[in-house]
Amino acid sequence: MIPGGLKEKLFQRYLAWICRPARIKKYLGSRLPAKREPAPVDRRRIRAAALQLEFKLFKDPFDYADEMKRKAEEAADRGAQLVVFPEYNNLQLLGLLPGSEELEQASGGQGSGTAAAKQNIEEEIWLPDLFRYMSPVVQPLVHALFSSLAGAYSLYIMAGSFMLSDQGAIVNRAFLYGPSGELEASQDKVNLLPREAKWKVKRGSSFSVFETPLGNLGLPVCMDATYFETFRILELAGADLVLLPIADPQEYNFWLALRGIWPRVQESPLYGIKGALVGRVAGFVFTGRAGIFAPLKLTPNQDGVLDEVKPYDREAMAVADLDLEALDRFRSDHPWRDNNPALYRRYFPQIYGT
Amino acid sequence: MRVAALSLAEINLESLSQYRADLSGLLKTHRPDLAVLPAYSALALGLGTGAFMPGPDFAATFYIFSADNAGWNSICTEIHAGLAREHNLYLAAGTTVESEAGFYYHTAHCFDPGGDLCCRQKQTHLTRIEREYNFSRGEEINLFDLESGAGTTIKTGLIVGNDARHPEVGRILALNGAGLALHSGALPAGPNCWEQTAGMWAQVQQNQFWAVEAQLSGRMAGRHFGAGSAVLAPCEITPGYSGYLARGYSETEAVTAELNEADRRRIKKSYPVLELLNRKAYSELSELYRDRENEVD
Repeated sequence: MIPGGLKEKLFQRYLAWICRPARIKKYLGSRLPAKREPAPVDRRRIRAAALQLEFKLFKDPFDYADEMKRKAEEAADRGAQLVVFPEYNNLQLLGLLPGSEELEQASGGQGSGTAAAKQNIEEEIWLPDLFRYMSPVVQPLVHALFSSLAGAYSLYIMAGSFMLSDQGAIVNRAFLYGPSGELEASQDKVNLLPREAKWKVKRGSSFSVFETPLGNLGLPVCMDATYFETFRILELAGADLVLLPIADPQEYNFWLALRGIWPRVQESPLYGIKGALVGRVAGFVFTGRAGIFAPLKLTPNQDGVLDEVKPYDREAMAVADLDLEALDRFRSDHPWRDNNPALYRRYFPQIYGT
Repeated sequence: MRVAALSLAEINLESLSQYRADLSGLLKTHRPDLAVLPAYSALALGLGTGAFMPGPDFAATFYIFSADNAGWNSICTEIHAGLAREHNLYLAAGTTVESEAGFYYHTAHCFDPGGDLCCRQKQTHLTRIEREYNFSRGEEINLFDLESGAGTTIKTGLIVGNDARHPEVGRILALNGAGLALHSGALPAGPNCWEQTAGMWAQVQQNQFWAVEAQLSGRMAGRHFGAGSAVLAPCEITPGYSGYLARGYSETEAVTAELNEADRRRIKKSYPVLELLNRKAYSELSELYRDRENEVD
């Protein structure tokens, strides 16, 4: 089912109607608490939550809203001031499309997805077309939902990242909402997975740092954490915290999962908060372990982990307190870090361009 | 190609002839095509033989050693070049301190199977203590072609000491074509293995090159060195996806492994990490480093 025909256009209008912001806000209005007082900001104790969401296809936007609300509320109840959702946080809205049952069946329902199922799906459905089709529906829904949640619970919510259409191109875009309910920042994924490159996702061209009372934040997306340069450029631009949504498309292995945010916060001293999407759909498998990471010396067990969820395939939440003053002290009195501008001047123009 | 990372554990450092004989025996036993010695190898031998006396602590000892060691460096060069020639292998001979125009550098050397120097690399990033003792930074990253058998070569670079914790070094090597990095390291002994993982293991994973990591084992001037040596590769081509082809403990004298370049090419093709790097997005890096330099000044 791909866009173009009258039937598809009419269905898209139907989706836009059932997902319209006013309807979502009204639905949430009766379910959200009166606005909570924001916790006072203490730079020595910023409480962060990293969410691990289990993939489900939602046929009703209210069910999706309920699920996101449940997770935000759980984090707020545990005292979090900042919450990080996972990458591809709109994949679950593909359930709004007719025929989405086939995606679930291809994943084997409760069982495991197979490579054959994935190939079948890929041959029949070009996912970028679905993202493009859903984008006018998803984007307003996401903004209405997460801005309401951030406002009601007085949280900074990094809502995860979303496959959206922007002037015809598909982007993988992360959004940050503030306690006032405003959209505070967005960041496009800069480095793509091979599959996303095949989908011709448009890469972001730079990284930004966003000032908040909780510290300066960077919002790279998943694969961006494969490269030391991402965290280095964010640190040099003043970031204290990196909020990283991931959806790791492979079977879980401790070492493979270690390759992203953990070494990056060791190389560039920052706090790293990783939200993960896990589960199986259409032959794809996503595994996680959401967690909160820091330089070795700033963690109680000297292992770089402040909190990390145990399951890699079920929903869970990690919560930890971050001490920005300790981070400042660690950076300013570091035993082995150094800077070699002459070396960088010699090689970087050739490597990165100027 | 068979490679070995040697820790100097069980090597008698009390005389030059015994050192040479022990190393020679080890190389004969393991028969590598390439062997790597750990950091501070020249200092360890200098202290062991009594050619140099320890200072009040390790840092001071290293500083004292650097002041007048030109003759000692010649002796070490002769020994290691001879071992490379005798065993027909590449030998990355660990590290020493060299002076050049009044500046002191922590440097590593590699000898080819003919006993000729094929690469010299200065450490490019200094620890706080090294800065306090006025060591200087190298400003160049060198590569050489290592003959890996059957007429093939692999571009190779040396990563010296503290440079293992600076990913800029590995990236410069990799984007200039390096397929192999030889690391001479010396980490303090202790229960925390994560310091080491954050170094060469992380560099290997984000650059998809091989690494032979020789870590010093033993006590010197009041400091106990004891990380395990290792041979590293991209996770996908190692047992259990661990990123380690072979890994030793503190007291392991030699860690060996076979490098199969076809395996590495396969993973680079199926998951081309460096090709997927959006280099232009980082074009501001130089400028930002410069800003930090100005802040420090």
